[in-house]
Order: sequence, then C-alpha cells, then structure tokens
Amino acid sequence: MDYYTDAIFRALELIISLDPEVIQVVTTSLKISISSTFIASIISMPLAVLIARNKFKTKKFINIILNTMLSLPTVVVGIFIYSLISRRGVLGELDLLFTPIGIIMGQVILIIPLITALIRNVIFSMDEKLYKTATSMGASRSQKFKLLILEARYGIIGAVIAGFGRVLGEIGVSMMLGGNIKGVTRTITTAMSLETNKGRFAFALALGIILLSLSFLINFVTYFLQEGKDYARR
Amino acid sequence: MQEDKIIEVKNIKKVCRDKTILDIEQFAVFKNKFNFIIGGNGSGKTTLLNILSLVDQNYRGKLYYKGQEINKDEQNLKFRRNFSVIWQDPYLYRGNVFYNIALPLKLRDINQNIINKKVKEMAARLEIEDLLEQSAYTLSGGEKQKTSIARALITAPEILFVDEATTNLDEESIQFFNSHFADLVTDEMTVVMVSHDSRQIKELADQITLLKGGEVEITKTINNFNFELFGAGIEAPIAEIV
Repeated sequence: MDYYTDAIFRALELIISLDPEVIQVVTTSLKISISSTFIASIISMPLAVLIARNKFKTKKFINIILNTMLSLPTVVVGIFIYSLISRRGVLGELDLLFTPIGIIMGQVILIIPLITALIRNVIFSMDEKLYKTATSMGASRSQKFKLLILEARYGIIGAVIAGFGRVLGEIGVSMMLGGNIKGVTRTITTAMSLETNKGRFAFALALGIILLSLSFLINFVTYFLQEGKDYARR
Repeated sequence: MQEDKIIEVKNIKKVCRDKTILDIEQFAVFKNKFNFIIGGNGSGKTTLLNILSLVDQNYRGKLYYKGQEINKDEQNLKFRRNFSVIWQDPYLYRGNVFYNIALPLKLRDINQNIINKKVKEMAARLEIEDLLEQSAYTLSGGEKQKTSIARALITAPEILFVDEATTNLDEESIQFFNSHFADLVTDEMTVVMVSHDSRQIKELADQITLLKGGEVEITKTINNFNFELFGAGIEAPIAEIV
C-alpha cells in the first residue's frame, strides 16, 4: 500500500514542481491535440451544415455512415493512416510516419465524424424560423451561414471541445503513427503506457492526474456551455 | 402589366407531399396600398405571403416585381433587400434588442454610426428604447413583436409583409399595434398583410383578397368590396367564409 501512497505523493510533487519532462509531454500532447481539433473543426462545420440543411438522395446513407464512425476504434484509424504514410503507402515519400503531422492526420480522421455528428444535431435542433427570418432580412447565402454558426455557437463549441477531449485521451493513433519518440511525438497517453511498463509509476500517475484534470475541465466547460444559464433560457 | 401593380404572380402552384396547397392563376399586389390577404386556416395565406416575399422559392409559376420576372436563386438578393417581413411568431437572434434591430442594416454593410442613430430612432418610435440593452430572450411577447417590427422597418422597405402580427399578442399589445401601425408605415411603402383582425381590415385595407382552399376566391378594392355578399359588416364575411 505504501508503494501506491508514495507514488501518489511523488506524482503530485512532479506536477507541483513543474517537472520539465512532464511539461514537455503535456505540451506536445496539447499542441498535437489542438492542431488536430482545429483542422477537424474547420472541415466538420460546413460538412455538418451541408448534411443538416440540405436534401439529397444519399443523406440517410451518409448519416448512417457518420453514426457508425462515431465508434471508430483508434487503432483502425491508425492502420488506415499507417497504410497511407508508411514507406510503401501513397504518401510514403512525404516521410510523415512517426511525426506529429502523422498523428494529427490520424486524429483529424478520428474526430471529424464526432464533431460533424454533434454539430449536425445542433443545426437540426435550430428553429426553422431562424432561416426564414435571415432570408426575410436580406441575408446572402454566406451571411445566412454566418448567422447560423453564430446562433449555434455554444453547441458548436461544445462539439469542438468533445472532439478535443477525444483526441487528448486517445492512444491508438498516437502510438501507431507517432512512435512515442521522446520530445517529438510522446503524448500524455503514450508516455503513461511506456512509463508504467518501465516501472516509473509515479511519473505515469502524474500524467494520469493531469489528463484527468484536463478531462474534467473540458467536461465542465462543455456542460456550462450547453446546459448553462444562457442555454436554459432558450 | 398595370403600373400600379408592384408584384404580380401568374399560375403559381405550391405542392407539398402530393397535396396542392396553393394554386393561383393570377394575383397582384398594388403599389402604396394596404393589400390584405384573408381566409381560413389552411387557405394558403401564409404560403402566398412566403412566396411573394421571396422567403419560399420552392414553387411553380412566375413572379414579377415591377414587371421584371424574379429568378428563384441567389440573384434575387437585390429584390429581397427591398422587402421586409413581420412574422406572427417572430424569431429574435441571440443578443440584445439593439443587435436584433440593427441586424438588417449590418447585413447591408451600413456604417455603424448610421446604424446607431437609426436603431435609436426606430426604438423610440416603437417605445422600446429602454429595452435596447436587454437580452432578446427575456422579452415578453409584445416586446418581441415590437422589436421585430422595428427590425422590419429599419431598412425602410419598399414592400412590408405582415403575417398575422397580432395573433399571439395580448390586448394591450394589439391596441398598440393597431393605433401605431399606420403611422409607422410611410406613404411610399406597400403593405401586404395577412390578418384575421376585423379592426385592422376595416381601418387599413385598400385591397382585400380572399383565399379559399389555396385558390383566390375574390379580390376587391375596399371601396367596392361587397360586404353584403357575405352578410352585414366586415366581421361577418370573414367569419362566414372561414
């Protein structure tokens, strides 16, 4: 029991003393996760509006595919991107394997369905009068899109944060495409896995506490944005 | 086309789930007049108003504005910007009253100083200047409608469409609307109004079109509108036809 108590104290000590190795792993993780969330959001936003607001023949099929991809295992995405960026892959010449860009590619693919589906649901639930009113006010197509995004902003931020939470906590993509290289592609989750195997339990625990705290913060912000005072008023 | 017709529709047909909800051979909106569209539930009043105001472009037939045929695509934005609509149940955007009234001007890239001046003037006319900083979600039904009227009038539209604006309001707000509305509308404005309110029809109407089952039953100018055709007084015909 002492072993665990001691590990917890040492983990807290690592966090409080801002241990350089811990900080490096956390910043690498945050940089990669923020980049992939940003790119995925830029792609997902118009995609979600397109699916939610337009009638087309394959809409049902696309929605089913989108919902299926919500539970996409990270290792499946890892294998898919690996096949593209490994030396024999179509993008092999770009040398993206075991680089942060490789991880970002995988994470973008991983969370596009999640962010798209969540924003799609937000747009679905918007009042139809919003569009009629925008048209009657003389809004152009791009102005209507902007108004829609502005009206749905809290839901959209919630969807983006959910995507960020997903990539921050995933390990399959980071491990397969990043290779866990110290200072380059070592993220919180891959470092935790490695350090636990090496017996540096306190170090892994420190990262675990940070990950859990970040996760709590993300959920807190999401809850506040979606269920908060302003949301309830609607 | 006669000069006093600002909008004219020909062979308009709107089908929804294999059901024809509007089928009008000919209909016109007269310039600088109060054009009333009346009829019972499901008679196609709002559908016609949506088509005339270019909010709904999913219909068959032709629509002319000042003799020019209007396309059913983004190119009609310049026409749409001459129109405004006051809805029965107005939608106000996230933000305060000022933001909502200013929105149509912002969409037209109007200078912020002009926007500030116009919004304050319009709010004063509608007696909502104290609400400008208030969140749109905290307004009462009457305040919401006043805000939406201000928003519709701020661009000084050539044609103002009004879709049963007083149906969901309390008596006080209806009285405010009835006593102020004619003053808010300028002489240059053309008004297309869907209404059940006999007082509004009696006091404002220049032209009345009665719809029944999605078709035009009768169109008359108010001077020769034969009330006795449906019974005595204006309340009676509407009640009887509906």
